[in-house]
Amino acid sequence: MASALGRITNLSKTQVGQFIPVLCNTQIAFYSAPPPGTPPPQTKTTFGPLADQDRVFTNLYGRHDWRLKGALKRGDWYKTKEILLKGADWIINEVKVSGLRGRGGAGFPSGMKWSFMNKPGDGRPKYLVVNADEGEPGTCKDREIMRHDPHKLVEGCLIAGKAMGAKAAYIYIRGEFYNEASNMQVAIAEAYQAGFLGKNACGSGYDFDVFMHRGAGAYICGEETALIESLEGKQGKPRLKPPFPADVGLFGCPTTVTNVETVAVSPAICRRGGTWFASFGRTRNSGTKLFNISGHVNRPCTVEEEMSIPLKELIERHAGGVTGGWDNLLAIIPGGSSTPLIPKKACEEAIMDFDGLVAVQTSLGTAAIIVMDRSTDIVKAIARLIMFYKHESCGQCTPCREGVNWMNKMMYRFVDGNAKPEEIDMLWEISKQIEGHSICALGDGAAWPVQGLIRHFRPELEGRMKKFQQAQN
Amino acid sequence: MLRLTVSRALNGAKSSPTCLSVASRYQSDQKKPDKIEVFIDDKPVLVEPGTTVLQAAAMVGVEIPRFCYHERLAVAGNCRMCLVEVEKSPKPVAACAMPVMKGWRVKTDSEMTRKAREGIMEFLLVNHPLDCPICDQGGECDLQDQSMAFGSDRSRFTDIDFSGKRAVEDKDIGPLVKTIMTRCIHCTRCIRFASEVAGINDLGTTGRGNDMQVGTYIEKLFMSELSGNIIDLCPVGALTSKPYSFTARPWEIRKVDSIDVLDAVGSNIIVSTRTGEVMRIVPRVNEEINEEWLADKSRFAYDGLKRQRLVTPMLRDNNGDLNPVDWEAALITVAKVVKHAGNSIGAIAGGFADAEALIALKDLLNRLGSEHLCTERTFPLDGSGTDLRSSYLLNNKIAAVEEADLVLLVGTNPRFEAPLLNARLRKAWVHNETDVALIGPQVDLTYHYEHLGDDPNVLRKINEGDHEFADKLKRAKKPLIIIGAELLERKDGGALLSTVQNLSTKLNSNEDWKVLNVLHKVASQVAALDIGYNPGIDKIKSADLKVLYLLGADGDHINKEDLPKDCFVIYQGHHGDRGAAIADAVLPGAAYTEKQATYVNTEGRAQQTLVAVSPPGRAREDWKIIRALSEIVGAKLPYDNLNQIRDRLDEIAPHLTRYGNAESANYFKQAAELSKKTESAIDCKPIDVKIKELQDYYMTDSISRASPTMAKCVQAVLKQKQSACN
Amino acid sequence: MSSTLLRLKQVSKCAVNGNWVPRALSTSAQRLAETTLKNDFALLNPEDVEHKKKLQELITVEGTTDLSPISGVPEEHIRERRVRIYEPAKNCMQSGTSNIGHWQIDFDTRERWENPLMGWCSTGDPLSNMQVEFSSKDDAIDYCEKNGWTWFIQKSSLEKNFKPKNYGVNFAWNKRTRVSTK
Repeated sequence: MASALGRITNLSKTQVGQFIPVLCNTQIAFYSAPPPGTPPPQTKTTFGPLADQDRVFTNLYGRHDWRLKGALKRGDWYKTKEILLKGADWIINEVKVSGLRGRGGAGFPSGMKWSFMNKPGDGRPKYLVVNADEGEPGTCKDREIMRHDPHKLVEGCLIAGKAMGAKAAYIYIRGEFYNEASNMQVAIAEAYQAGFLGKNACGSGYDFDVFMHRGAGAYICGEETALIESLEGKQGKPRLKPPFPADVGLFGCPTTVTNVETVAVSPAICRRGGTWFASFGRTRNSGTKLFNISGHVNRPCTVEEEMSIPLKELIERHAGGVTGGWDNLLAIIPGGSSTPLIPKKACEEAIMDFDGLVAVQTSLGTAAIIVMDRSTDIVKAIARLIMFYKHESCGQCTPCREGVNWMNKMMYRFVDGNAKPEEIDMLWEISKQIEGHSICALGDGAAWPVQGLIRHFRPELEGRMKKFQQAQN
Repeated sequence: MLRLTVSRALNGAKSSPTCLSVASRYQSDQKKPDKIEVFIDDKPVLVEPGTTVLQAAAMVGVEIPRFCYHERLAVAGNCRMCLVEVEKSPKPVAACAMPVMKGWRVKTDSEMTRKAREGIMEFLLVNHPLDCPICDQGGECDLQDQSMAFGSDRSRFTDIDFSGKRAVEDKDIGPLVKTIMTRCIHCTRCIRFASEVAGINDLGTTGRGNDMQVGTYIEKLFMSELSGNIIDLCPVGALTSKPYSFTARPWEIRKVDSIDVLDAVGSNIIVSTRTGEVMRIVPRVNEEINEEWLADKSRFAYDGLKRQRLVTPMLRDNNGDLNPVDWEAALITVAKVVKHAGNSIGAIAGGFADAEALIALKDLLNRLGSEHLCTERTFPLDGSGTDLRSSYLLNNKIAAVEEADLVLLVGTNPRFEAPLLNARLRKAWVHNETDVALIGPQVDLTYHYEHLGDDPNVLRKINEGDHEFADKLKRAKKPLIIIGAELLERKDGGALLSTVQNLSTKLNSNEDWKVLNVLHKVASQVAALDIGYNPGIDKIKSADLKVLYLLGADGDHINKEDLPKDCFVIYQGHHGDRGAAIADAVLPGAAYTEKQATYVNTEGRAQQTLVAVSPPGRAREDWKIIRALSEIVGAKLPYDNLNQIRDRLDEIAPHLTRYGNAESANYFKQAAELSKKTESAIDCKPIDVKIKELQDYYMTDSISRASPTMAKCVQAVLKQKQSACN
Repeated sequence: MSSTLLRLKQVSKCAVNGNWVPRALSTSAQRLAETTLKNDFALLNPEDVEHKKKLQELITVEGTTDLSPISGVPEEHIRERRVRIYEPAKNCMQSGTSNIGHWQIDFDTRERWENPLMGWCSTGDPLSNMQVEFSSKDDAIDYCEKNGWTWFIQKSSLEKNFKPKNYGVNFAWNKRTRVSTK
């Protein structure tokens, strides 16, 4: 019964995608038309739970066959040729309409990013690079796609590649993902054998290759320009921007680097329509999203949910709630280790989308929710994160190389309380000196957790220092 | 793509804005785009599109602090010291890498900029040992200066009480560069210099984050002839000069501008002295010659100036020993012999002879009725010989090498014969896509080149159009042929030169572009030929001489056996080297750091050295010795001071006193015509060069042979070549 | 008490008349001095006014000036010294440019020796430490001419062809500027 209900509501949702363009067309006569690629206006007020029919990743848990046969059953590679034949502009327009924003952390509108590539060439080939170097602590969404639904990604590469006129796609996969790399490679081989890739991919007359490259285990190689450097065989050290990769990227050619999830949802968007995708979540935050919930919850999981779902509901519904009940919650890191934490009070009204989390002074990041209950030593937890960033800093630019190391030293003193209260302000200033001054976002990512901690747990820090001082005397 | 075609179909290509922008993009190659206006601290400046913020600021005299940025190296953008605020940008931008956009308002002294600089400065100092009192860079350290100017006024590094600072193991990269890696701020200038300018990919970073280190990974010698430049480039004291270490401080030394004479390039140098002793030599900027670089021999061979010096006149006694005497006795003895010899006196000028000494000696011998004046180095005399300057100069000038699109090197190894010319060639190769070809032994020039073999007849074939390279040369818009002077010392040198001259005349389409270029190996050669010395010592050997005057001739070209038994040999020079060994009388002269003297480099550019220290012991300036001798001999030379002898130089060849200017040579066609008379043919002996490898480079003349540092370099290179990881 | 009062009165009176200026109290002594001068002028006859004015002007002397006879520099140091006029180049050990961009003169180097007492550097040359900076080459030449020194100019080749720096060429696909080591 419940599923039937779900299906009915869901049906109406899919239909929304069909009649909204009509609606728009009728409006043209009366108002100035929105430019092409504008997502439909907001109509919903409540978000989530996501109905099964609207799930993009239907084999997230690996209960079905991940190989080509199973993928075909789930609807992958269905009419891919027709999508390709509709052309790059159609695909980009559809992605623009869908309001899809990059799923790797920064949340840049994907349609716009892809359209940067779609300008007349100067003889250089263009490349699509898929960032599968999922290294952010807490994040485990891309690996689920790659090991259980690799064909989604392979097909996505083809479609995204077509949209930007790329000659080939490089999937840069994290070195530690052995099984994922293995499954991806099998999937790519299957796609080649089935004629979906290679010369005349899917019979569309478009030649496209997909290569996979395994990284060697550096978090920084998940930064797009560092990833390009690493692919080129050099040390994975980020480049300055400009020039942006869309101008000078992989091997000096125009390149777009996108997250696995972004690419993997694009076939679904093309098949079911941008407006369908846009119907989930709030305006400018639309779509479905894989959420990873880890830490002090009863059932840690990765789940596909509608964007803009309240944080509390997400945890209660899918992760079986916080251990010891919601009141036992101390703080949550909502978007992977680099986002600032939010205390329980903020968690209650936080909405899981880009704008909703900015409103509580944090960010969506990769939507990897790390839940910490009252048993957590919050200072030590953040200190451990900073140690991670210290270890993963590439060492190229000064603020990150020197600053993060310094912060790490201070944080571990703060864990014991072996510091003066003035040093809290100093740490804040140091984090501000790193933020925005480094070449890439790793410096920012290392500064934010510290800022979150100081913002919300200053009394805790001061208390420890007092205690330490008393123990000394 | 689709939209473009549709709009084309609908409106025609001309009205589509997309098409217009596309068109302008392609035209930009041909037409210089208009300048754009930006504002640096509210000062308007018009700049070319693509100019970086830092460059635009420099144009209005605003200096933005930097560590990693260097104008002669690629942009790295990693020190972040150059962060400046740009109006409406939320974050400060790295001025060294960010191209300016139209109408940008850059604020180099705003609160945000100052805060950013202060933050970076603090971070740099976190792990920098504050050992300035014992650091050789102290006093000329960018980190010191910039922390004074832009750093915070107090330290808040509380962690010094808990964990201290990072320490890094020092690397051993050879006998020239001392490393104190704890001081390194990871600007990567040395790495970029090594890979871009020196063409050696030995330096790099290993490790990451705070553990990142600059080094060679496996301990090895930094095998470059330009290695000393990384000392200058290092903005801190991580790379300092090993021979200079702990010897002097920048504020106690005196700096004298001078010219280097250890090769024929004539690099501009600064000689740093203290209490009458040369402490070090560093390059001086001259865009037309050495830019900002200096070769290792020129930089480090100065300790050779303190050893093996001739400090007093000496006469050989009957036992064959040289005994010190005073000037009076020496000059009287020498004058007696010279007077007695009449016109059967000859002279050989060595590689370090300056123009003043050359002219004085020539005038003296001419007055005595002798014309036996030779240089150590040979040059073919067939055809026009040395009568026309165009046949023995690097006519196209060093700086213009950068503009060439095809360079043919013949019988030369510029990497070790003229390292800075080779650096220019490499610069052209890297930045201007210049192609290089080489006829001669296959050597490592630090860049790729087309090797056309070592058969001299290839040259003939190219001249006759019988070689595939001939077409390439013909197609090239700005071809250059650089022929080594060493090659021309061969028996068939005349034929080779005439071939090249003919080929060059054929290729010369542009009046301002000179294809024919000769690269000399010693500093004195061009001036000697300009003054009228005969190239080569054959004339000396054949003449029955009673007295031979060696003016710093240490090149091992002549020995006692070549001379008549009773020939009296006078050696005048500064080092007790090969020349002094065969001399009967030794007159101690001044080295290039001890006299104000004129040298003409291989381009024909007259430059002068200045006195940095006084000559040691009783040594005197060379022309003065000859002038004194002339008076005793009775053929008094008509000049008493430097101005007068320079007037004499001016009389003979005015370009010799036009310091800093390279007088262009003329009559290329005439020289080529005359050279056609050359009867000898090119023989089949393969072309060879003397200096092929780095170990051959360091000790080539009397100064560098006396230098312990250079000896250490040779040993280090040989050791490195034997080691497994080479 | 009364005397002080009287004096105060005098002061105020004089100040008004302008005959006597209390310099130490005034911050605008200059202005007041001018007024006195003016008042003086009023009392003089026109010739004297002219003469006084002339005394305040600068004197222009025709022809070249030679200061050497009156400068007090020993004759040996005028006749035998050679002055170099040059534009200092940037110290290649450092990147700062504040100390360059002017013209400078210095004298030829004479013998120096180590002082046997302290090991310091000694010299008998009074001009060895004289380095004078000028904003232009011509100023330097004028100065040398005036002092009767023989001078020569050291040509400087410091102008560099401007070429915009580009970070992107480090990654160029078809250029040799591509960076491989870092």
